[in-house]
Amino acid sequence: MTNLSPAFKESLEPLLLAIADDELIMGHRHSEWTGWAPHIEEDIAFSSIAQDEIGHANLFYTLLSGVIDKSPDEIALARQSSEYRHAIICERPNRDWAYTLARHFLYDTAERIRLESLRASAYKPLADVADKLLREERYHELHAEAWFSRLSSGPMEGRHELTVALSEALSDAIGLFEIIDSEQVALEYSILPESNEDLLQKFLSDASERIESYGLPFQLSPSESEGEFLATSSGEMIEGSDEQAAAPPAIAEAEGKWQVTGEFAGMGGRRGKHSPEFDELWDDLTKTYREEPTATW
Amino acid sequence: MVTRTSISRQEVYDVLSGVADPEIPAISVVDLGIIEDVEIEENRVKVTCLPTFVGCPALDAIREDIENALEGVGAEPEVEFVYQPPWTSDRITAKGKRKLEEYGLAPPTGRSPAGPTRLTLLAPAKCPYCGSRETVLESPFGPTQCRAISYCRSCRNPFEQFKVV
Repeated sequence: MTNLSPAFKESLEPLLLAIADDELIMGHRHSEWTGWAPHIEEDIAFSSIAQDEIGHANLFYTLLSGVIDKSPDEIALARQSSEYRHAIICERPNRDWAYTLARHFLYDTAERIRLESLRASAYKPLADVADKLLREERYHELHAEAWFSRLSSGPMEGRHELTVALSEALSDAIGLFEIIDSEQVALEYSILPESNEDLLQKFLSDASERIESYGLPFQLSPSESEGEFLATSSGEMIEGSDEQAAAPPAIAEAEGKWQVTGEFAGMGGRRGKHSPEFDELWDDLTKTYREEPTATW
Repeated sequence: MVTRTSISRQEVYDVLSGVADPEIPAISVVDLGIIEDVEIEENRVKVTCLPTFVGCPALDAIREDIENALEGVGAEPEVEFVYQPPWTSDRITAKGKRKLEEYGLAPPTGRSPAGPTRLTLLAPAKCPYCGSRETVLESPFGPTQCRAISYCRSCRNPFEQFKVV
């Protein structure tokens, strides 16, 4: 990796870190269903998906370790909670089955959109990995789709729960496409073949089309995602108008399509702004490492 | 341990054919199709492998098993995992598929140049116990990342199948 120019490296780092952290934190939340899922097949499914995602995180941390000269474990576990760059949707507690499935659907849709794009990355190791991961990720999406199909054709209660959960998860899902540090440089080098803004638009078209195909009585309520109070990693709430944590753009339906309206200022996950729930997750995730950083397994 | 100055390609493949997959011991790493390349320079052997699943916890065990086997015949081994080309279930050899079936694990249900699709997922696997095609996929997730769970309507046994990847 020594032949990479400093500017190239500098734009690669935040990109790899954001993707790796998304996978690690999402994988951690999924793993919390181990032993607690509604039935044994789902227990195994979420445990298996968690194992995939954490394995993917490890791979991205390994790519990054070649760029910044730190071990994958060190990158993954030796940071303060405010140094994590995953989107806030990944850290939200599992809450209930409907929210878990709604987020699972949106997250894995977003991940496919991102990986499909990264197959064209000028950074060959990243393009190779994207190609490989897409094959594995397909199973995650098929799993989420099977549940959407089942719940959307089932009794009203399940449809309703899923619809409510989707509306909530969707405003967070936008944060997966928050602009990353040095994004412009990553675009210039074609490390990132498409901007997060373009990927977001693709994500919205893809997700909305599929959600509508299930006939879910889904309605967007754009006002809900505007001017909300946003959480910071320190636990204090700051107003959405604050420069440090501007509100995410709203989503509205126009010409039968979901569109992002307004400026995309991001929700803060990519800038290390997280919810108080992340501090608890971080404590759990990094406890063993912090007690014995030099331990080998 | 024997020390030697050279080793033939055939000998390396013979050794690798004796290295079993740690999670499915019925099949060798060669028949599983994870050996992408072997480079030999005198007694130094570099084996390039493709992981079946990226998060597979058996990768370190596979690396160690290959190294130990090659050291056993006096070679100096080096094992590297790469992601391009991606490993796909199409790489399992015909012999490997037979071994899987004998082991009680249905081989992948189809070929997959572009990875798994809804069609490959819904294609009924052949029951490894009674040979029936009257089977249905119960869950695409099983005891390891590479296995799914199916059910045979003929002999009423649940069974595992290797995923199409």
